[in-house]
Order: sequence, then C-alpha cells, then structure tokens
Amino acid sequence: MQNSQHKNSQRAQLRPGQISRPKNLNLFTIKLPINALVSILHRATGCALFLILPVILLLLQFSLSSAQHFETVVTILHSPFIKLMLLGLAWVFFHHFFAGIRHLAMDVHWMTTLMKARYTSKVVLVLGAIATLLLAIRLWL
Amino acid sequence: MLIELLTKRYPGMRAWLTQRLSALVMAIYSVFAVARFFIVQPDNYEAWVDFFQPLWWRIATLLFWTSLTIHAWLGIRDVFKDYVPNPSVRDVLQKVLVVSLCSYLIWAAWLLLA
Repeated sequence: MQNSQHKNSQRAQLRPGQISRPKNLNLFTIKLPINALVSILHRATGCALFLILPVILLLLQFSLSSAQHFETVVTILHSPFIKLMLLGLAWVFFHHFFAGIRHLAMDVHWMTTLMKARYTSKVVLVLGAIATLLLAIRLWL
Repeated sequence: MLIELLTKRYPGMRAWLTQRLSALVMAIYSVFAVARFFIVQPDNYEAWVDFFQPLWWRIATLLFWTSLTIHAWLGIRDVFKDYVPNPSVRDVLQKVLVVSLCSYLIWAAWLLLA
C-alpha cells in the first residue's frame, strides 16, 4: 500500500516534463530487426487469416452447393483483381505457415542464437516469396 | 516435469502447448491438402464434390477446423491482451471472438457432415 503510494507520487512528480525522454511512439522512427519483422508479420498474418475465415466458408459452401454455383465461384476467382487478392492471401498463409514452423523450431531450442534467428528469419521470408511466386506462375501461366 | 507444468497451477503452459499442438495438426493437414489438391486437380463441379466425398477427408478437415478454432481463439485472445488495455472493451471483444469462432466451427461441421 505504502509502496504503491510512493510510486504514484514519484510518477506525479515527473509528469510536467522535467526530464524529456524519447517516447518512440512514432512507429516510423522504429527500425525493426529482421527477426522482429518476421515475428510481427506472423501475428498480423494470423489476424488476417482469422478475418478471412467466413469468406472461405462462404466460398466453400457456395461452390459445393450446385454446378451452377461452382461455375459462378470459378468465374469470380478468375477475375484479375480477385486473382491478385488470392495471391496476396496465399502469401499471408505461406508466411504464417513458415514463420510458425520457425517458432515451433525455436520452442524445441533449435536455431535460438541471435545469428541463427536472423538467418532463419531470412529463410522464412525467402520461402514465403518462393511459394507465392510458384503459385503466381501456376495462376497466370 | 511436463505433467507438473500442465496442471492447473500453470494454465499458461497448457495454453502454450495447446497452441503448438493445434499448429502441428493444421500444418500436417495443410501439406496434405495442398498435395492432394494438386494430385487430384478437381477442375469441374463433380470432381470438386468428389474431393470432399471421402469420409476420412471430411473427418480430417473437421479435425483441422477444430484445431483452427482453438488456435485462433488463443492467438487472437493474446492479441487482445496485448493491445486492448480497457478490460470491459476486451471482454466484449473476447465474447465476439468466441461467438464467431464457435459459429464458424458449427458452420464447417454442418458443411462437412450434412
């Protein structure tokens, strides 16, 4: 009790800007190391995948319901803009997949030193790019 | 040691392990699904229906979706814990999360088994 009061009074004393500390709240002033980038992208892609779930279920249900609906889904997925979105979504999945495997590897204490973590981060980004490129070739050629 | 860590005294450990196990299930299914899709190449309606016809595939897909439900719940819950400091707002968001994930699971089960 006494301790928390003490802390509060300390915070109150500091408030009117006696010491100017850098706050770093501007995200553009922070340069992410590559392993932090892969990590935050793993989280961001995870959120994106969660948000797309109803669309996936809707497409699955619609495409399975009848031959006519199947053709409609195929036509929608073949339009150039949707195809590009599909490729973007595929990258989101690939990144979450490869970065997830990297996290699993680190959980069993594999590739945990800083140098190795940086190296596997690059591997994750490259694998995601290669998988997306292969799909792009499959979709457009 | 592992059993001790997973008892009720350390609920975080259980969530951690569940997150990883569900990830493994989904990773294995994903590899199989992509491989099967490129082997079968269902390019018309009948082939697409046949793709989802085998019972073992529907059960595997439902197992995947169940893992996904648990995985997404733990993952998004952690995101809310990190970025939503207001407890009442976070509570509402977590309820929305649970309701949507449960309805997706019921939807998926109905699609695959009905």
